[in-house]
Amino acid sequence: MIEIKKTLPIRIILLSALFFTTLCGLAQEKEKITPTVTLQYLKNSEDQRILHAVLTYSKDRMEIPLQGFGISFFKGTGKELVTSVVTDSKGIATVEIGKDQKLASDSKGMWTFSSEFKGNDTIDACTAEVTVKDVILEVSLTGDSIRTVTLRAFSLENGKEVPAKGEVVKVGVPRMFSQLPIGEVTLDDSGSGSLEFPSDLPGDKDGNLTIIAKFEENPTFGNVEKINIVKWGIPSDYTKPTVHRALWTKVAPRWMIITLTILLSGVWGHYLYAVISLVRIRIDARKKEKEEHRL
Amino acid sequence: MQADNKLLKDLTPEIENTSYRWYAVFFIFLVFFAIGIYGLIQQIDKGHIVTGMRDNVVWGFYIVNFIFFMGLSYSGALISGVLHLFGTQWRKPIIRMAELITVISLVIGPFFIFFCIGRLDRLYFLFIYPRIQSPITWDVIAIMTDLVGCFIYLYLSFIEDFAILRDYADLNVPEWKKKLYRILSLGFTGTEKQLKILGNARTIMSAMIIAIAIIVYSVLAWIFGVTLQPGWHSTIFGPYFVIAAVYSGTGLLIILMWIFRKIYHLEEYITRRHFVNVGVLLTVIAAFYGYFTFSDYLTKWYGSIKMDSILIDKLFTEYYSLFIFANYIGILLPGIIIAFPKFRTIPNITVAAAIALLALWVNRYIIVIPTLETPFLPIQDTRPAWINYAPTWVEWALTIAGVSIFAMLFMLISKIAPIISISEMQEKDKEEILH
Amino acid sequence: MKEKEDNENAHSSRRSFLRKMGIGAGAVTLAGIGATSLVKSNESGSQSGTTIKLLTTDGQLVEVDKNDIRPAKELLAEKKSEARAGLPNRKFAMVIDLARCKNARKCVEACQEGHKLPKDHEWMKLYLLQDDEHTAKYWFPRPCFHCDKPMCVSVCPVGATFKRQDGIVLVDNQRCIGCKFCMTGCPFSARVFNWKDPEVRLEEGQIYDPETNIPAVEGTVGKCVFCADNLRRNELPRCVTACPMGVIFFGDLMEDTVTNGNETFRFSKLMYDRAGYRFREELGTLPSVYYLPPTQRMFPVERGLDDADENIKGRYKSAGPR
Repeated sequence: MIEIKKTLPIRIILLSALFFTTLCGLAQEKEKITPTVTLQYLKNSEDQRILHAVLTYSKDRMEIPLQGFGISFFKGTGKELVTSVVTDSKGIATVEIGKDQKLASDSKGMWTFSSEFKGNDTIDACTAEVTVKDVILEVSLTGDSIRTVTLRAFSLENGKEVPAKGEVVKVGVPRMFSQLPIGEVTLDDSGSGSLEFPSDLPGDKDGNLTIIAKFEENPTFGNVEKINIVKWGIPSDYTKPTVHRALWTKVAPRWMIITLTILLSGVWGHYLYAVISLVRIRIDARKKEKEEHRL
Repeated sequence: MQADNKLLKDLTPEIENTSYRWYAVFFIFLVFFAIGIYGLIQQIDKGHIVTGMRDNVVWGFYIVNFIFFMGLSYSGALISGVLHLFGTQWRKPIIRMAELITVISLVIGPFFIFFCIGRLDRLYFLFIYPRIQSPITWDVIAIMTDLVGCFIYLYLSFIEDFAILRDYADLNVPEWKKKLYRILSLGFTGTEKQLKILGNARTIMSAMIIAIAIIVYSVLAWIFGVTLQPGWHSTIFGPYFVIAAVYSGTGLLIILMWIFRKIYHLEEYITRRHFVNVGVLLTVIAAFYGYFTFSDYLTKWYGSIKMDSILIDKLFTEYYSLFIFANYIGILLPGIIIAFPKFRTIPNITVAAAIALLALWVNRYIIVIPTLETPFLPIQDTRPAWINYAPTWVEWALTIAGVSIFAMLFMLISKIAPIISISEMQEKDKEEILH
Repeated sequence: MKEKEDNENAHSSRRSFLRKMGIGAGAVTLAGIGATSLVKSNESGSQSGTTIKLLTTDGQLVEVDKNDIRPAKELLAEKKSEARAGLPNRKFAMVIDLARCKNARKCVEACQEGHKLPKDHEWMKLYLLQDDEHTAKYWFPRPCFHCDKPMCVSVCPVGATFKRQDGIVLVDNQRCIGCKFCMTGCPFSARVFNWKDPEVRLEEGQIYDPETNIPAVEGTVGKCVFCADNLRRNELPRCVTACPMGVIFFGDLMEDTVTNGNETFRFSKLMYDRAGYRFREELGTLPSVYYLPPTQRMFPVERGLDDADENIKGRYKSAGPR
């Protein structure tokens, strides 16, 4: 149904990205670049549905982004145009499917989205398609000494809740460069599951931690995430690493300045004495000369 | 002030007229100096790539020369400072020479640091962005202090001589020189009061010179000592460098005594007694210096921390002959010459001093280079220059230029000032000084 | 040397040129920086309504709003003070997993490319170490350790190299006088000297940035910068992303997290599980780079020489006895 192809070493895939790729460009000419568009579906914590397309081509086993090309986004099997977005410097085009937009689901309750790059004289055209089912992910954080993340996920079919049993939800904490995995929960028959959260994780200076629970690259649901901010972390003390006076800081340790001052004032004081002696000799000599004159 | 006519003529051989020989010798040194300048221009133009220094051995001949020249300045601190304080009489004919060595070498030394610096055009950053924590800043402060102090001290010792030259009516010199003597003598006439003031100032300054000389050389040693490098990170480095400096200064003094005695026929004033006395001093210092050297290497070898034993292995293989020359011959030879009375001739003592001096230069070389060739992480490189240091012609040329400018400055000063202090020599106890 | 002076002189001649055009000294530009680089829109985006004519380096006369103009000199100073301060509330650290390294040298190449280094300058260096003849050889990538008690910073006489609040040690090569004391101070040979003109010039519109150390300057010192420019954009250092084996992990110790781009670990757990250590702890410089010992290696050590060219092979004729 869906062709999944992992492209070469793109190591950091953007946060919670679903990855369905279709290679295209059938009648390619010799010089023409054969690009790839990858389309990802994300339902974020605010229930916004976002389509995320990346246009790249492969050269010397490196993925090179194509900037400044229009990507058209479509919804439904009938390819109803949503909008068209120009790729940025990373080859990314993003569009939000507003809540007011009507989405036609097929008989299995699946939504289909697709994206298309039309191509030009030097670059081939290509398209990508994702099919997802809407899912509702509920997260509750409980406990004090033992902290528990409780998860429940279900989809709605004809107004009835259908538990997402057997599916895997990942729990993590976003950090500066990547997400720190905390654990994975396989949902039980009722679509629920829980996870004990470690109590020794550093948070920000107030102890706040961001906890993300998500379906990641789920073949049915795509990317669906829920974000919670909670005071479950250990407050970080940011003052520690800065030392004011040390060998390697801008300002020298006090003893150094004091020692140097004592040494220098001692030596230069004596120099001053010697120079004053010279002046005294000169004054004395002047006096003598004047006396001689008078005589 | 009046002085014995003969004394004056003898001690200021070059003031009245200039010999052809003077010009010839000066020209030869000038040529060497010019070659050095050409080398320096090459270095500034093409970068430090023209030197033998590379990423591992980042300090080479220049730093060795810097330490060496700074060390020479100790002759003044020792002879004029220590001996002045103890009131030793026999030192008087050589006191002026020692002081001149001090000031001249102190002026030349820092130039080798300038050659070593990658961005000479930013040298003034040392003054506008100083960091007190850096031993280089300590060094800048200490050297400047030392220079000023030595100039003051030298000048104090010159005043009486300038007064004598000013009052010496028959001196056949151009008018500008006479005027110079008049200004520089400050109207000194040798009254009791003036002599007392001058004497006090000289005593105070001689004490200062000793103190600051110890500080300068310790600071220099700490540039190496404070780092973590094997062979450098040693608590003994401060005193070790100080004693090595005194040793080299004394050695150079003997050589200069010999040269001036020969050229200016000062046999009457600088006698065998002076050579033997300074020679004994040299031996005593050699003993101290040998003791420090032994103690430093013994603890490193016995404790055999891995990096130290790698370094000592290197010293006893690649650097074997240099090590033996610097730390055995250079230390033992002066002692052997002085120990046996029949060896104590003027040429023998001079040769021993010259070898000791050379050995000290080599000693600095094997302190600086082998350590940089044994970093904590092994040098894994295919470029020979990165593995072993080999000085290029530019570094040789600048080294020779340093020696040349030392000689040239000495020659120039001998044109305007007595190289043996007249005032010290004409004191009543002249007999005692000379015999 | 001459050329450099010219470059600096061009600065003042440009100033006088602009004066002649009737533009105030506020619009001073450094040579080689086009007017476009001066244009940095204010956050408020306020427009003064008055425009100023500027001549770009390629000879075009452009008109820009007065409020949009920032003198390049000011930008440089701003960049430098930013670079000196570092990122707030961060403490960066690197973890290198010796079990995974096979001397692929991708980290070295990415670093050289990213920092426009000459081919013989390696900020990241690969050693083949063997502590003793009875112990095993292992590959040892060595970046700058960005020590917490950095000897190189302590000994610098002019404050050209400095330690930032986020733990990174950088060099300002416009301040460096090239005394090389830092090179003898560093026990890890992490620093390289520009013995000759590296022939790296700024691109049109760029300003020197200590966080990349581009362009390198003859007679000054360079070294690994932990890709401080990337960190500012929340991107990993170049060596980390370039490594095909995921050898190098990087992260913020305040967050107790390190990542190689693919895998993310708690730093403290990784240290515990894999017996992490720092190289030559006894020297007391407190490096920010940690090593995981080469246990259960992913590759035999000889594999590191398979694809190496002759020059590289020549380096490792004998493994270091450290």
